Amino acid sequence: MLRYTLRRLPAAVIVLLVASLAIFFLLRLSSGDPAAVLAGPDAGEETVAAIRASLGLDQPLPVQYLIWLRGVLIGDLGDSYILHAPIAQLIGDSLLNTVELAAGALLLALVGGGLVGYLMGTVRNHHVRNFLGALTSLGVAVPTYVTGVLLVLLFAVTHRILPSGGVGPGLGDLEIGVQYLLMPAVTLSLPTGATIARFLAASMRHTLDQDFVQTGVAKGLRRRRLMTAHVIPNALPPVTTVLGIQIGQLLGGAIIVETIFAWPGIGQLLLQAVTGRDYLLTQDLLLIAVAVFIVVQIVTDVVDAAIDPRIRLERA
Amino acid sequence: MSHLLRRAVATGLALSLLAAAGCESAVDQQGQAGSGPSRGGTVRIVQGADVQPATLMSQNNPNFSLNRLVFNSLIQYDHKTLEPQPELASAWEVSPDGKTYTFTLRTGVKFHDGRAFTAADVVADLKIVQRPEVASQVKGIAKQIATMQAQGDDKVVITFKTALSNVLDLFLMMPVIDPDTADDLFAGRTFNGTGPFTVQKYTPGQGFQLKRNPNYWVKDRPYLDGVDISVVRDSQSMLSSLKSGQSQLALDLAPLDASTVKGDPAYKLIEADAHDSVSYVGYNVTVPLLSDKMVRQAISYAIDRKRILTQVLGNIGTTTSLPWAPSSPAYDQSKLDHYSHDVAKAKSMLQHAGAIGKPVNVYYDSGFGPNNGLAEIVQFDLTAAGLKPRLQPLQASDFLSRLRSGGFDGMFLTGHGFGQLNPATLLGGAFPFNFAKNASSFDNQQYKELAQKVWFIPGKPAKATLDQVNDFLLDQQFVSDLVTGSHTYAINSKLQGLSWTMLDYIDLDNAYLSK
Repeated sequence: MLRYTLRRLPAAVIVLLVASLAIFFLLRLSSGDPAAVLAGPDAGEETVAAIRASLGLDQPLPVQYLIWLRGVLIGDLGDSYILHAPIAQLIGDSLLNTVELAAGALLLALVGGGLVGYLMGTVRNHHVRNFLGALTSLGVAVPTYVTGVLLVLLFAVTHRILPSGGVGPGLGDLEIGVQYLLMPAVTLSLPTGATIARFLAASMRHTLDQDFVQTGVAKGLRRRRLMTAHVIPNALPPVTTVLGIQIGQLLGGAIIVETIFAWPGIGQLLLQAVTGRDYLLTQDLLLIAVAVFIVVQIVTDVVDAAIDPRIRLERA
Repeated sequence: MSHLLRRAVATGLALSLLAAAGCESAVDQQGQAGSGPSRGGTVRIVQGADVQPATLMSQNNPNFSLNRLVFNSLIQYDHKTLEPQPELASAWEVSPDGKTYTFTLRTGVKFHDGRAFTAADVVADLKIVQRPEVASQVKGIAKQIATMQAQGDDKVVITFKTALSNVLDLFLMMPVIDPDTADDLFAGRTFNGTGPFTVQKYTPGQGFQLKRNPNYWVKDRPYLDGVDISVVRDSQSMLSSLKSGQSQLALDLAPLDASTVKGDPAYKLIEADAHDSVSYVGYNVTVPLLSDKMVRQAISYAIDRKRILTQVLGNIGTTTSLPWAPSSPAYDQSKLDHYSHDVAKAKSMLQHAGAIGKPVNVYYDSGFGPNNGLAEIVQFDLTAAGLKPRLQPLQASDFLSRLRSGGFDGMFLTGHGFGQLNPATLLGGAFPFNFAKNASSFDNQQYKELAQKVWFIPGKPAKATLDQVNDFLLDQQFVSDLVTGSHTYAINSKLQGLSWTMLDYIDLDNAYLSK
């Protein structure tokens, strides 16, 4: 398994290097100037030029790229042009919030989607199956900005049960923290949960039709044993593959949810960095995003291989 | 398995309900009121963008909340007459030739770190404003200083190279900061002012926690224990925060969101009386089509200002053809409607100029919600008048860079301020009108002479001169002003005693939370 994992690393490094070049130069090709943002709307040329020089933006692009790459390699991500704080600290703070949100959403999606998917895959009553199918279609189709706004209207404005936005004290006060987390996590979890449910249901139906399951039934295996030992493990690989993609989409979707709920996560930070042309912060965030995607894909492959030895043998 | 699932679901639901209906509510935790009009309580302000510490020496919208809560200026202005009022300066004298200003400073004022505020701090702060990398709309005034001298701890004597009509705008706009920590301030690390609140915590991108300054120079103020400033980027989310009771003040909601709290007794929508938020159309006058002032005038006639006011700006403001707010000595009500909506006239003028059917690009910052509606109306009106407008939405940073470099090959839609102060500050400090270099690349000797006539004089400029300026602006139309609006504060009615400065900075010296 280790060799299987290690063989994927060189490609990952090349992808990261190419991504760093693309991120840096594409960003510089886009118009806009962080010095103009920093100077404010009425500043003169002299002020903008002085700010540009103080940020090192007057140096040639290859020099700027190498300085950035060197910083990344030695773990110095630099300071944000617009927010002035160390980028490592900004990303650390925001990442914790996003991880909290994404983990909450993922948990809800796994539990909710798993339950609905299991029911859709096993229940024979077609009314129940149609209802659950419609529910999951709705979950996939309704965008998070609609769900989010509806939840805020219902639970924060009409009935003041939950806070409309912001981030709670986290682990410092779990009782309060969960209240802040509940609405954004539910909003973010719905599309992922619905997708998991649909994939799990389809995969389970397919597995239930397999000969080995019929053999198990004929042998008199108890239903619980048949499901836990045979059906679910064989139905899971397609779901874990889609889960890997969904985690990426979960993080991407967090941008909208974080905006609706004023949740200070990575999405908000990235939005601010891009609109303010905060080059260094944008570059670091995008490179980290690429790295996370690569890691998630490798982990997904490894999990697939661990669950299903055939995959390991195929890719060996 | 089904049993396991049932148990898992039941546990999850129970945990959710327990959290949601727990003993302590996250909603109730926010903005707890003190008792009556007395002390205590924390006000939570929500605003759409993060404070920009690097621009604290200039007027910049995201800093409207923090600036007057943490810092003071030497003077403030009466909102109606522009008469200077004492703040950290208790008195001032002007020499007969109008060149020398002597400020007497209030004694007993301390910075948040306990150090006494002295005349040397004012001199050092002025030198900071003069630094090239420090942005300020009144840098031009600061650069006219010939000498400055601290006399003892409580007197500052400042002599200008020549008499200027808007010297006091410099001392209104320049916050008094601790010069020793200025670089840390601009980097967002230290906020050492003399204002009513001290900075307890700043989380870049998220907001501030401020705490009452126990040594504030105004006796027994502020009433509040603290202020939280939170960044909530979406206007509707800001509105939700206000309506859910999570915050007490929403700064600059999108106009159509702001208008939804009108008429609800639980909230108040306050339109700041500085009236310094003016929407305008600018023109790159070096573009052949727009170099003809008749075309610019025709466009100004073509645009339906009333429709913009009602449909885009939620009726917050008044239509105008000039940049001035009512407090300005240059304000002239009789000329506000000079360019009233007249499509036939616009068409005829464009015909005369040979511009019918000509394409024109219209640039705007699409990140600012109202601009999208504004752009659509302008597009409709220009089409009706016979031009072929092409909308070009840009992100804020791109828009700003092009605005500064004159990089628009057509028209541009945005806003400006500074119509509420002395006219020279607009003509020399606000980029759209800056006579030396402006966003329209309008380089005109007569304009320079007029602006200098307004600026380089002691005291207020003569009415006749200001009339000339107005007539020139109306005639040349390198900027077509559309609607004079206001910055808004949407507040929970429990928040009493809210005030603001002539620069729209929030002033909570006398604010309290009623029960």
